[in-house]
Amino acid sequence: MINMLEATKILVARLSDDDLVVGGLGNPKFNLFQAKDRPRNLYLWNAMGMASSVGLGLAMARPENRVVVLQGDGSLLMNLGSLATEAWRAPRNLIHICWDNRMYELTGKQPTASAGTADLARIAEGAGFEKVARAETLPAFEASLERALAEDGPWFIHALVDDQRAAREYPPKSPTFIKHRFMSDLGAEI
Amino acid sequence: MAWPETIIRVLKSYRIEFINYLPDAMGERLLKLAREDSDFDLLPLAREEEGVGTVCGQMLGGRRGVLLMPTSGLGNSLNAIASLAIPYKIPLPMIIGFRGGLGEFNGSQVMMGQAMPDIFRAMRIPYFILKREDEVETVTEGFLRLTFSNEGPAALLISTQLAGWKE
Ligand SMILES: Cc1ncc(C[n+]2csc(CCOP(=O)(O)OP(=O)(O)O)c2C)c(N)n1
Repeated sequence: MINMLEATKILVARLSDDDLVVGGLGNPKFNLFQAKDRPRNLYLWNAMGMASSVGLGLAMARPENRVVVLQGDGSLLMNLGSLATEAWRAPRNLIHICWDNRMYELTGKQPTASAGTADLARIAEGAGFEKVARAETLPAFEASLERALAEDGPWFIHALVDDQRAAREYPPKSPTFIKHRFMSDLGAEI
Repeated sequence: MAWPETIIRVLKSYRIEFINYLPDAMGERLLKLAREDSDFDLLPLAREEEGVGTVCGQMLGGRRGVLLMPTSGLGNSLNAIASLAIPYKIPLPMIIGFRGGLGEFNGSQVMMGQAMPDIFRAMRIPYFILKREDEVETVTEGFLRLTFSNEGPAALLISTQLAGWKE
């Protein structure tokens, strides 16, 4: 099985400084920070489920930048409709990665529906994603990532990860610091 | 100029590009105009909460969007407003068709409509109600000005006095 931190390190090493990464609440955000803190990491404290929608908005606003969404299975299940919205809009620059540990790890490892009957990759296909990759091992994840970085998206990568908790080195906690650092690195003004 | 045309014109003057929406009959008056206008890019949502995320993403990317939705949609959006738009201080202009108030025929709309102003007050979200044609331009413009200076959510409510009620 894949370890989320190891896979996140591989991902971040393959990105360019221009790429935008949205780290959803839970382990995805902690592991993103631990793998590499960079100004274009948008850490979402709370706002469970919103990573995929924020990523879609970013992909629409910045077609010249690649946008990578890192989201846990529990968070994706809370916002399943976003898969339909993303697939319909189909931004070519969007890569949506779901780290599926089949649990709400942070709150005590309670099972999610993907521990039961839900197949998130098939749900993404059903929502209309044409490019869906499944990875159960680190080499398979690397291979899917290579394709997703080379071919137009939107991509949905479903990665089965172990139940290990990220070391809790906190990313910056101030939401406005995260926002200003992200936007000024992008040269974005509203 | 009728209110939908006026609102659309003011949105343009504020460089709003993306209309993230879940439709209702009042919103459709605006969507109809926006669809025929190449300055706007429409994003249909499956649930209004997504729109909080997509508008925030657009703004963080340096481009402007609005969230157009019915009163019920506010209920579907609250946690994202509270945990994303407010703490990250991201402008979130919401245009809401006011249901559950004057002339409402559908009892299931009333609770959300009556609670809406109190919800806005509890969350310190500025809101403005459009009631008369002759104030649409000023109020819409003032609403957008405030949303961007305050860097947070704000709401513009389209009332039944202005838009008429459903039979
Ligand atoms: C709306 C909402 N409901 C519940 C929670 C409590 N909560 C915090 S983290 C979490 C688990 C998230 O699960 P997942 O996205 O799969 O990430 P993991 O913890 O497994 O890494 C939950 C349920 C919350 N923060 N917000």
